[in-house]
Amino acid sequence: MTTTMQRLHLTHPLHFVIGLTLWCTWFVAVYGGHAVACAVAPPAPEQGVFTLVNALLLVVSFVAIGILAALTVGCYRMAKHHQGRLRFNATVSAGLYLFSTLGVVFAAMPIIGIPPCL
Amino acid sequence: MTTINREVTPQGDLPENPERLHNDLHEIWGNPRGLKALTIVNHTTLGLRFMVTGMVFFLIGGLLAMLVRTQLALPDQDFMSPDIYNQVITMHGTVMMFLFAIPMLEGLAIYMIPKMIGARDLVCPRLTSLGYWCYLFGGIILTFSLVLEMAPDSGWFMYTPLSSSEYSPNLGSDFWLLGITFVEISALSAGVELVVSILRTRTQGMALHKMPLFAWYILAMALMIVVGFPPLILGSILLELERAVGMPFFEVAGGGDPILWQHLFWLFGHPEVYIIFLPAAGIVSTLIPVFAGRPIVGYGWVVFAIITTGFISFGLWVHHMFTVGIPQLAQAFFSAASMLVAVPTAIQVFVWLATLWLGKPKMKLPMLWIMGFLIIFVCGGLTGVMLALVPFNWQVHDTHFVVAHMHYVLVGGMFFPLIAGLYYWLPLFSGRMPSETLGKWGFWLTFLGFNGTFLIMHWTGLLGMPRRVYSYETGMGWDIFNLLSSMSSFVMSAGIAMVLLDFALHFRFGKPAKHNPWNADTLEWANSMPPSAYNFVSLPKIETRHPLWDDPDLPRAMAAGEHSLAVATHGRREMWGTDPLTGKVREIIHLPGNSWWPLFAAMALAVVCISLLTRLYPLAGIAVVIAALFLLRWSWENGAHPKAAPDAHVAPGDPSLHSRTMDGPGLWAMSITMLANGSFFLSYLFGWFYLWTVSPEWRMPETSPLSLVGLVVAAVALTVGGGILEKLVRGLRQQRDAGLAIGMFSISALGFVQVGVTLWVLLSANLAVTETSHDAIIMVGLAYALLHGGLGAVLTLLQGLRVGYGYVGAHAPFEPAVVAQLWRYNVVTFWIIVGALAVLPRVIGS
Repeated sequence: MTTTMQRLHLTHPLHFVIGLTLWCTWFVAVYGGHAVACAVAPPAPEQGVFTLVNALLLVVSFVAIGILAALTVGCYRMAKHHQGRLRFNATVSAGLYLFSTLGVVFAAMPIIGIPPCL
Repeated sequence: MTTINREVTPQGDLPENPERLHNDLHEIWGNPRGLKALTIVNHTTLGLRFMVTGMVFFLIGGLLAMLVRTQLALPDQDFMSPDIYNQVITMHGTVMMFLFAIPMLEGLAIYMIPKMIGARDLVCPRLTSLGYWCYLFGGIILTFSLVLEMAPDSGWFMYTPLSSSEYSPNLGSDFWLLGITFVEISALSAGVELVVSILRTRTQGMALHKMPLFAWYILAMALMIVVGFPPLILGSILLELERAVGMPFFEVAGGGDPILWQHLFWLFGHPEVYIIFLPAAGIVSTLIPVFAGRPIVGYGWVVFAIITTGFISFGLWVHHMFTVGIPQLAQAFFSAASMLVAVPTAIQVFVWLATLWLGKPKMKLPMLWIMGFLIIFVCGGLTGVMLALVPFNWQVHDTHFVVAHMHYVLVGGMFFPLIAGLYYWLPLFSGRMPSETLGKWGFWLTFLGFNGTFLIMHWTGLLGMPRRVYSYETGMGWDIFNLLSSMSSFVMSAGIAMVLLDFALHFRFGKPAKHNPWNADTLEWANSMPPSAYNFVSLPKIETRHPLWDDPDLPRAMAAGEHSLAVATHGRREMWGTDPLTGKVREIIHLPGNSWWPLFAAMALAVVCISLLTRLYPLAGIAVVIAALFLLRWSWENGAHPKAAPDAHVAPGDPSLHSRTMDGPGLWAMSITMLANGSFFLSYLFGWFYLWTVSPEWRMPETSPLSLVGLVVAAVALTVGGGILEKLVRGLRQQRDAGLAIGMFSISALGFVQVGVTLWVLLSANLAVTETSHDAIIMVGLAYALLHGGLGAVLTLLQGLRVGYGYVGAHAPFEPAVVAQLWRYNVVTFWIIVGALAVLPRVIGS
């Protein structure tokens, strides 16, 4: 348990991969969920973007953005309190979380403008 | 193992006679000659073998490219028949991607990584050897199809149904599927051991943030291989099963879907581009600071870019499939992700430019190739962003524009940095300098020829010329461009020939190189030139990212044995096992010596491959058993086996041997192997759910043919066995080994119970595997479970025997912990199989 908590500390290099793993998970969830929704219950084309599918995809995206943004801020703050290796780990992790956050924002933008199953 | 009967040299004291120490180390690590040279497992020798073999395949692939350009030079040519042309163009792509690019870069990594991180070898030397032989034999089998005029002819990505038995009834597709899968054993084995070596064998003090950037790049590449290759291995197995047995995974009429192949292929195929690019970028990030005479600007930014590229590259695969009818929103996701990946690439370009800007660059020969890389790769990257835009992609899909983009990225992004790297490290390989004159001629001919060939292809593509066409009519407006393109390709060939000539001649006529001729900062230049088999007499403690700049005397001190592990009297091949984060020493890793087993195992696997090609299935089955026996015999000589390390004696103050701890690199190797295995398993689950959801003719019976009770009984047996094993491992951690052998035999028995019950479930299901993809994919899932269950049971049985021989116990507790990882994996995946194949269909229905 102690080891696990140490690994979850924001200066641990495991955070180099957590943010982008979350990005990948979000990406697969959105792409896969969208494909299943269109196969099982495609909304009528005349509904445009105002569909349950778009809404759910946006909700999932906002959740991902929230988690990633919080981790970005956490790593950034933690970096200020350390020097050397731990500062390096936290700084790079903060950058990777920020990129992951912006990655979700950028890749999720089409959800606002494109009907789901055309 | 060599035994040198002399007293142990005390750690920390200067050796009395460095020359004697050199001789002792050479006796332990040196390579045999004659027929026994086939047993060599040393990373320096095998890295060179990988690279030389890769260059031979490069020449074959290049020759095929020249044939293609000759055919296309003029309209209405009949230089080659359409059938031969299809074989030539398919094999050009296949050879360059699978037999040249990846093995070549892996060879470079195998050669360089231990030297750069201050180790004496890779952590699994016999695995390096197995990888090389699998690569060589697989490459020969695949290339031999050209001689037989039976080469694959469906394009290097083997799209179904063109590659299926209906449209490709000859053996070409089988050569591709079996040969490539064989070669991929090599890629995966190198991937696993590079990851573990970089994380666990860096020299003392080399924390993650002090690691050379090249090691970061190779770490990312190796992890990408581990995760990225299994989807293609699964796809190849499924397609070969469809062709050989008739299981309809990709046939719509049988409930399959040809688009599944595209998904599996590009799940591998797009990361593959970055698997090739990242090591090449690592060469660039290594060379530019050396020739600029200053540290790289933004080390942390480069690490950020490497990790980002590694992940994002897995989210782009569908941009190869924009025209197959995917909904617009899904296309937009992949379009956005494709643009995102340009960000980390651009960061690296700006870092390189800033380093050059702030330094005092010396335009030596390697830098010429780096400059060529920067120009060509930036152009290729920009056309990549263009292709990420869906409407433009639709316009130029399957035209020469895509061919031009791909070559700008791959030749610019891989070949130019590779040549830069080879020129840079040639003095290390041989102790001699290349010819600047020949090298410059080679560069300019290659650079001009390349742009003449492929810049023009952008235009022929925009004019509508499709890729892979055998010929074209005059009057389409493509004639002059194709002629210029073909002429330029021969100029490029002349340039490459000049470079290869320079490489060959320098071994005989090159000027002797002075030590560290480029004034580099990394540890590989602390070696002798050419390097010894053991790399370093003593292993230093590293405090900075630039050890040779900060301490120019370091190579001399290391060679004089003034640092750690300067001892050879025990007769073991030893190096540090260090903490992956901090670089603190945790144990001494002792490595196995030269061996026939990797070669024998690879030969048996080659027999499997050829038997499957020729449909001699009984012979294939026998060869599988023989290969397994060779591999198990190889595994027997580990740990406390007399041939590995008969006594655990170490110098006073040194940590224990890894085999006498619970912390050896084998644990990491098994974890990374399970990561690859997990990627394969997830790809399988993806295939199951994809066909279930999307396949137009999917047929699922009203009731599942699988006995749920039987599967649950098997899963419980497996879980109980895994639980007992965990308990035994916990006991070993506390130095308790009472009842260890009986425990292992009991666990093995439970494993065989799981195998037996699963087999009964499979046989009693009466699956119609050639009629529906539903039954066929269930068959594959249960076969996967049987294979893993059987392996777990056999390995545990062997552990029980090893306890009896005294190779495993409280004194050597390491191996059961490794086997326990396989059991954990088996338990988790088996329950998932039960849920996905037997429970969900009952809950959701067809």
